[in-house]
Amino acid sequence: MILLPILASCLPLLGSVAGLLTSRAQPAGGIAVAAAVGSLGAAVAEAAMTGGGTPIASAGSFIYVDGISAFFAITVAIVVLLAGIGSIAYVHAQQVRGELSPNRVRAYFVLWGLFAGSMVASVETANLGLLFVLVEACTLASVVLVAIEGRTSGLEAGWRYVIISSLGITIALVGTLFVFFAATALPGSPEQHLTWAYLVHHARQLDGTGLRLGFLLAVVGYGTKVGLVPMHTWLPDAHAEAPSPASALLSGALLNVGMYAILRYVVIADRALGPAYASHVLLTFGFLSVALGALFLVRRRDFKRLWAYSSVEHMGIIAIGLGFGGVLGLYGALLHTLNHAVGKAVLFLAGGTLVLAYETRQASRISGVLSSLPVTGAVLLLGSLAVVGSPPFGLFISEFTIVRAGLAAQSPALVGLLLLLLVLAFIGFMFTTSRMVLGEPKGQQRQPYPGRLGAVLAAVPILLGLAGLLVLGLWVPGVLNSLLMHSVEVIR
Amino acid sequence: MQSLAVVSSGGLLLTLVAVLILLCALACLGSKLFDRYLRYYGLQSILLAVAAGTAAYLDHEPALWVLCALTLCLKGIAIPYAARRFLVRRLGLKRDTGVTVGLSVSLITGAGLCAFAYLLLGSQPLAHGVISVSIIPISTSVILLGALMMVVRRHMVAQLVGWLIMENGAFLAAVTLTASFPFIVEAGIFFDVIAGVLIMLAMATGLAEQMATGGGLPARAPE
Repeated sequence: MILLPILASCLPLLGSVAGLLTSRAQPAGGIAVAAAVGSLGAAVAEAAMTGGGTPIASAGSFIYVDGISAFFAITVAIVVLLAGIGSIAYVHAQQVRGELSPNRVRAYFVLWGLFAGSMVASVETANLGLLFVLVEACTLASVVLVAIEGRTSGLEAGWRYVIISSLGITIALVGTLFVFFAATALPGSPEQHLTWAYLVHHARQLDGTGLRLGFLLAVVGYGTKVGLVPMHTWLPDAHAEAPSPASALLSGALLNVGMYAILRYVVIADRALGPAYASHVLLTFGFLSVALGALFLVRRRDFKRLWAYSSVEHMGIIAIGLGFGGVLGLYGALLHTLNHAVGKAVLFLAGGTLVLAYETRQASRISGVLSSLPVTGAVLLLGSLAVVGSPPFGLFISEFTIVRAGLAAQSPALVGLLLLLLVLAFIGFMFTTSRMVLGEPKGQQRQPYPGRLGAVLAAVPILLGLAGLLVLGLWVPGVLNSLLMHSVEVIR
Repeated sequence: MQSLAVVSSGGLLLTLVAVLILLCALACLGSKLFDRYLRYYGLQSILLAVAAGTAAYLDHEPALWVLCALTLCLKGIAIPYAARRFLVRRLGLKRDTGVTVGLSVSLITGAGLCAFAYLLLGSQPLAHGVISVSIIPISTSVILLGALMMVVRRHMVAQLVGWLIMENGAFLAAVTLTASFPFIVEAGIFFDVIAGVLIMLAMATGLAEQMATGGGLPARAPE
């Protein structure tokens, strides 16, 4: 049993080992992908094991996997897998063009493995202290990935990212300390005072003031990772400057890891302080994020920044879902994390092909992708429609569920505001992407990938992801449904 | 002033050290020279090691002695040395030109933040069985001062030092208030900080070198 979480989080490190051994993108990437498949398998097995309601707990709860952990581990592992396949093509193309030196390719895969491993590990602990340590490790592993192409703008984005994230994560540490203080009066060993299950069980005996402060600090701190407004300022730069598969990993996986950390605190706060407190905090940050994210989608010139702001908006939607609460809200929020992760992975990976083909991130200099690169163009168009929440894709279902949760929570005004902002986001997003995809091909472009293999490897993850979004939009598979319901039960 | 009540002579020593740590943070905020930043930071870390040692002695926690030694060697000596050698000396940095708010204004703001931390937390009966109650507002003040430094200084080295000061503040709270904090977590936090510093040093060096060849200060986010 205990082997599964260890496997899930340590397998991605094989990619790091491969990176140390070879500086060729294809073999190193192949091993990273194989490791990601193994990691995903272990995460799915975890979900099956914890399905009955008994968490896998060991090593003094330093390793703790329940339904929520398994769900987030699967989400992260799926994105790691999709982006891993994309990275083989992307990094190989960059290497052939001489834009990435062999040492940078090595560094890319070493950090890739560390980043993926630390993300999976983060969602498999329920010790709040260890959670902090692992989330910080995710940041550190990903910072260098952001700057790996070595441009000045990349280094600046990386610097802003590491500074703002470290600031935020230190705030989260202070929050963790306050929660720990709030528990000092409880019986039991100090180790237990940081253990999530113990804190949830004894929530009513926690010191209210300390917990209130600790919760707020934790939301602000981990919210920095999630990209909740106003702590989002690192996010657009980092997402835009990172190599596209790494952007997919940042947007699809890392933000969810932050959300996982917040979710753990929400459960404690709900039990100890009543549902209103956490709900108000989450709704405030959620609406701020959706509003600012949607406004910044309008007339964005850099398409990777456009997608980054869209991530801010979607993280806001998830926070709103958690804030509305109830079975519907929680279910919708969790489903939305999965949908958004896959959707953003698809978009950023397709974006990687665009960056390679047009050598620019300016949307105005790209046109007619549909006729010049048919597969990428079609995926971009459908993926964009999916991400803005149009049927028949998964994000429509999860957003609809969250809206229903809002109506169930008797807050029609908030629902109205949310719908208005979603419409605005739809217009802003589609205005830019539709002009890129449709129209006459213009501007210089070159063959994005040097060989057939690269083109196929680039197409596989985006088509897989899009198919997944379509399936999730038509029907939520029974296994996933029971996993989600089980997670909702853990939270409530 | 119930919060200033001190439980024991060990608690008195701890409070004294904590106050000195706070003063180091203020001194950093009131300085403009890179050398001074690093000197005050080093001094602060050495004081932090003393605090950890005191807590280790009072609580009979052998694990804390390890942290005390690590803090002294890495934060007190290695980080300031490396930053001075690889950033300040090699790039010929002297005076911080990225000061957006004047020194006196930042000091007054800093003092205001300390007062705020004290008002907010001074009378909170938060912790049970701690050695010295006044540590909570003091460490919160140190964290706020570090954050202020990151906000009002635009230069990379100053931001780095600001973050390190914040981390020291959090560490002061973790080590002294909660000697019972699980060791593996404390050690994890410690190594995260070290790895973070290494990465930041590497990036700052890379950026500064590119700036030197490309010219100009790092611009704001390109839109």
